[in-house]
Amino acid sequence: MHLTTLILSSSLILVIAILIYPLLTTLNPNPQDQKWAITHVKTSVKAAFLMSLLPLMIFLDQGAETMFTNWHWMNTAPFDMMSFKFDHYSIIFTPIALYVTWSILEFASWYMHSDPLMNRFFKYLLLFLVAMILLVTANNMFQLFIGWEGVGIMSFLLIGWWYGRADANTAALQAVLYNRVGDIGLIMAMAWLAMNLNSWEIQQIFFLSKNFDMTLPLIGLILAATGKSAQFGLHPWLPSAMEGPTPVSALLHSSTMVVAGIFLLIRLHPLMENNNTALTTCLCLGALTTLFTAACALTQNDIKKIVAFSTSSQLGLMMVTIGLNQPQLAFLHICTHAFFKAMLFLCSGSIIHSLNDEQDIRKMGGLNLMPMTSTCLTIGSLALTGTPFLAGFFSKDAIIEALNTSHLNAWALILTLIATSFTAVYSFRVVYFVTMGTPRFLPLSPINENNPSVINPIKRLAWGSIIAGLIITSNFLPSKTPIMSMPLTLKLAALLVTIIGLLTALELTAMTNKQFKITPTIPPHHFSNMLGYFPAIIHRLTPKLNLSLGQSIATQLIDQTWFEATGPKGVSSLQVKMAKTVSDAQQGMIKTYLTIFLLTTTIAILLTMI
Amino acid sequence: MAALRKGLLTRALSRGIKPGICTNIIGARAASGAPQGMLPGPYPKTPEERAAAAKKYNMTLEDYRPHPDDGCGYGDYPMLPDKSQHERDPWYQWDHPDLRRNWGEPIHWDFDMYIRNRVDTSPSPVDWRTMCKHLFGFFGFMMLMFGLGEMYPSYQPVAPKQYPYNDLYLERGGDPDKEPEPPKHYEI
Repeated sequence: MHLTTLILSSSLILVIAILIYPLLTTLNPNPQDQKWAITHVKTSVKAAFLMSLLPLMIFLDQGAETMFTNWHWMNTAPFDMMSFKFDHYSIIFTPIALYVTWSILEFASWYMHSDPLMNRFFKYLLLFLVAMILLVTANNMFQLFIGWEGVGIMSFLLIGWWYGRADANTAALQAVLYNRVGDIGLIMAMAWLAMNLNSWEIQQIFFLSKNFDMTLPLIGLILAATGKSAQFGLHPWLPSAMEGPTPVSALLHSSTMVVAGIFLLIRLHPLMENNNTALTTCLCLGALTTLFTAACALTQNDIKKIVAFSTSSQLGLMMVTIGLNQPQLAFLHICTHAFFKAMLFLCSGSIIHSLNDEQDIRKMGGLNLMPMTSTCLTIGSLALTGTPFLAGFFSKDAIIEALNTSHLNAWALILTLIATSFTAVYSFRVVYFVTMGTPRFLPLSPINENNPSVINPIKRLAWGSIIAGLIITSNFLPSKTPIMSMPLTLKLAALLVTIIGLLTALELTAMTNKQFKITPTIPPHHFSNMLGYFPAIIHRLTPKLNLSLGQSIATQLIDQTWFEATGPKGVSSLQVKMAKTVSDAQQGMIKTYLTIFLLTTTIAILLTMI
Repeated sequence: MAALRKGLLTRALSRGIKPGICTNIIGARAASGAPQGMLPGPYPKTPEERAAAAKKYNMTLEDYRPHPDDGCGYGDYPMLPDKSQHERDPWYQWDHPDLRRNWGEPIHWDFDMYIRNRVDTSPSPVDWRTMCKHLFGFFGFMMLMFGLGEMYPSYQPVAPKQYPYNDLYLERGGDPDKEPEPPKHYEI
């Protein structure tokens, strides 16, 4: 076997083995070491990250990708169990996911240090990571489905970490139910592929699908992405997921799990390239999501909710990019977004803990005592808005340029540009309320950044937020030709709308010196603050209808139907109805009946004589 | 041993009317084996039946209101207001804090729908009609605009490829003897 392929495959299997090893040590009946979380889990993720850099370097040098299948399932040729595909998507994403996870685990060792079940928490995070790696390296739909469900279940367990809290239980339930609705789409797509193409292998699917109308499985895949990546319609679980601890929000609900839906669409993009229905659906859904969630983020007061809506908005942007037929740009945005979003969450977590678990931005401010955290919060927000030459710029600007120069739905373009300016507005709002101005927190808050477990991860992710965009774009050629010549206005469009948003936000903050009303009373504020009334309506109406319908069917309707309506009461009501109809007809007008009878008989006899 | 053989223990445990030894110690009892007086019964027609039903469900006579007798099978079960557990005081020291319920309180017919993980009936800051109007209006407006956007898409202006001089007249099969018309070249 060729040496390059051997090194590539071995190092990638080793990465997975390093990640699985701590999980196997938990099967040991002897009690675990107190510091197991740090000595085993964090070290293994760090080692896996360093190990995964080797395939990355080989890929950068030689462009080598590999695919290997480990486990055939009986003798059914197209259906394998474990089949790994390390193409450029998974080779780039795996080190990034491991780098971000390493930073988050180090942060979590500080954030969760007072939790008696910290070892279990780390175990859950590691199990999630293994499922995520299985998902992104899957070469067949079956392994992808295993990873998909794995990340969904771990999300449920981690959101409901503090399970004594009813709100956390509700949030975890919401996450798993909304994801389940999306899973219907994925299972439908898998069933269609198994029935029509007789294969779940990705290469075979690409090859065999050329003669088929792929609209139905593509709609299924888009539904799956809608559920997992919180697009409009199946989005409320993502802000509710902020009930979980901040490391969970940082890992799952910003960098890795929520991009699984987008990653699915990127992986299976060749199926969508020629299907205009699917592309338009992605474009419009993504545009609607990005505007709606950015509008919701404008009036939130919980720092984690703002960052969650920001994540949802960026996911909408990634969906828009897929709708533009640019999967590589969407992937680039996934990679850069992971860095600055995870950093924003870690900074939020550091601030929350320092202010004694205060999450309301109206009770923060003037955080001069946390210079590193507030700086990195600012860097992350700048990267998010697409400030030139930070990480977010390379992906976001490229996406907006592609939007401006493509043939697409005009309203989708307008919505995305408005959402980009909203991004600047809420990012500035966060930075202003959290770090600037006079302090509004309690005087004896234990503010400090002394622990290196807090600062080092944030610093690492800050480096990533600054240089990751440049590194990735410099080293990977785009597969679709980007349009390089466009009018100056279009080229600067992203920057212009961001600056407009920033100026608007500055203007609004100048108004905060005067207090107009205690709470805002205008309808747009209520629309934005109550998340577009979507949870208020859907979470009250649909469960109530379904549950009361279920209750009345089970307890009353079935008995009333089978014992009464199809039995005595049904028979009697039918009889009464028939009797009424017939007795209305029977008026007792004998003379009239006889006359008509004679008339009819005469006419019939005359007709026969003719 | 002798008592076991005689079945005394079995008889003591299976007696349903009087509370057994376990009930005296724990206070908990199974839902099965309830005495006839504690089970839900038919719709109370007389005032005495109403009083007995109110006592059975641990309610006062003024509070007790049965479901209407319309053949749906509710019997004498009380009709409690359709309010979910979200509306109860979160700071009061309930006996069951997660359920926000005290011991012995009558349970709503749809209590499983009204727990804190499910339907919330608490009053919203904005009334229902306005919420529905705004949300569905927003969604309808978006769908309309997306439809218009499909009809009038946005794209960069494009034109067919132009070549200099006579626009490849000969290569495109033009007659070599005829004089070609001067082509009009456009600039974007």
